[in-house]
Amino acid sequence: MTTATVATDHRLSDDQMASFVINGYHILKPDLRTGLNQEIYDALDAMSTNPGDGVLEAVPQLNQVWNSPEMVGALTSLLGPDYEMFPHRHCHRNAPGTPSQQIHQDNLNDLRIDGGQIRQPDRIDLILAMYYPQDVTSNMGPTLILPGTHVLQALPERMASQGNFRDQVIATVEAGSVVILHYDIWHAGTANTSKTVRYMLKFLFQRTSNPSVPSWNHDPSSDASIRRRLESENPMSMQRGLSAKQRHLRTRMWNRLAGDQALDLSYHDKWVGGSWN
Amino acid sequence: MPKLQRLLYINSESTHPQSAALSAAVYEPVAGSITQVDPTSEGLPYASVHAAMIDGWRVIQAPDVWAGIGTDDAGEVIGFQFILEKIEDFD
Repeated sequence: MTTATVATDHRLSDDQMASFVINGYHILKPDLRTGLNQEIYDALDAMSTNPGDGVLEAVPQLNQVWNSPEMVGALTSLLGPDYEMFPHRHCHRNAPGTPSQQIHQDNLNDLRIDGGQIRQPDRIDLILAMYYPQDVTSNMGPTLILPGTHVLQALPERMASQGNFRDQVIATVEAGSVVILHYDIWHAGTANTSKTVRYMLKFLFQRTSNPSVPSWNHDPSSDASIRRRLESENPMSMQRGLSAKQRHLRTRMWNRLAGDQALDLSYHDKWVGGSWN
Repeated sequence: MPKLQRLLYINSESTHPQSAALSAAVYEPVAGSITQVDPTSEGLPYASVHAAMIDGWRVIQAPDVWAGIGTDDAGEVIGFQFILEKIEDFD
C-alpha cells in the first residue's frame, strides 16, 4: 500500500537486514515534525478509557509516524513492498508502580488456526512496531528483548523463575523512537518505578506476498560477509544446541527473503587462513 | 531472629556448575518481596553456579539433563536450571 512513495535510501542495507535476521529487532527514529510526540502523548493522556483498536482513529497523528519515510523504508525491507497494517493494535499505558511482565511471545489467539498461532521461525511475515511518544529511561518500564529468540518457541511458565538474563536488551529510547520486532521474539514490558506514565503504541504490520527478490537495498557483493555473520554471530548466550538451531533458521530466513538472490550455501572452508583457536 | 531460606535460581549454559550463568533470580523470604525482570539491573549476581557456591550458596537441585534441550513440538527453555539456597537470619 505504500510502495510508490518509498525512497530507496530509507530501505535497510544488507547489514541492517542481517542484523534484524540475527537479532530479531531494529530500532529507528523517524524524522518527525517538532511537537508531534508531545501532541500524541497529550492526546493519549487525556483519554479516560482504553480505545482498543480504535486508537488510530482517536489519535490520527499516529499516521505520521507509520507513514514516515523511515518507517515505510524499514517495513518495505522486512515485509515487501505490498505490506499492510494489521487491524489489531494496542496502546500500552505503563503507569508508575506497574510490575514487570513475564517474558513471553505474543500470541494472536486466532480461533481459525489450530493452536491459535502460527510460528514460522524461518520467515518474516508479521512485525510488531512499538512507538514511544516520550523518552523511556531504564526505570520507566522499557521493553526488554531477548535478542535472537524470534526463531525459538518460548515456554513462558517454565521460564517464569529465571529473572534477568545476562544478554537481555533493555530498549531505553528517545521520544519518537520505534522498536521494530519480529512478531515471535521473546520480550516483556518491565516495571515502571518512575513517577511518569509511559505510553507505548503497538501496531502490527503483515506481509501479503511471498518474496521473490530482496526488498531492501541489496548488493550481491556483500553475500560472503553476510553469510559469515549469519553463521557466526551470537547475540545471546545459550546452550550450544539452541545456538546451532538459531544459526540454521536465520540462514534459511535470509534466503527466503532474498528469493532468487539467495546466498549460495554450498560447502566452504570457514577456517582456512584464520587464526588458530 | 528466625533463620529463613533464600533461594537463588541460576540457568547455566550446560549442566556443568562452572559453565556460564545465563540468567539468575533471587527469591527473598520477605513478605511483599517481588522477584521479576529488572530493567535497571547491572548484570547477574554471579558468573556461574560455582561462583555462587564460593559465596556460600548451597545447591539443592541440579538440572535434569533433559531439561533445556528443547524439542520442536514443546518449545525451548534457555539454560539448565540449578536451585541454590542460603539460610540466613531475618528480622
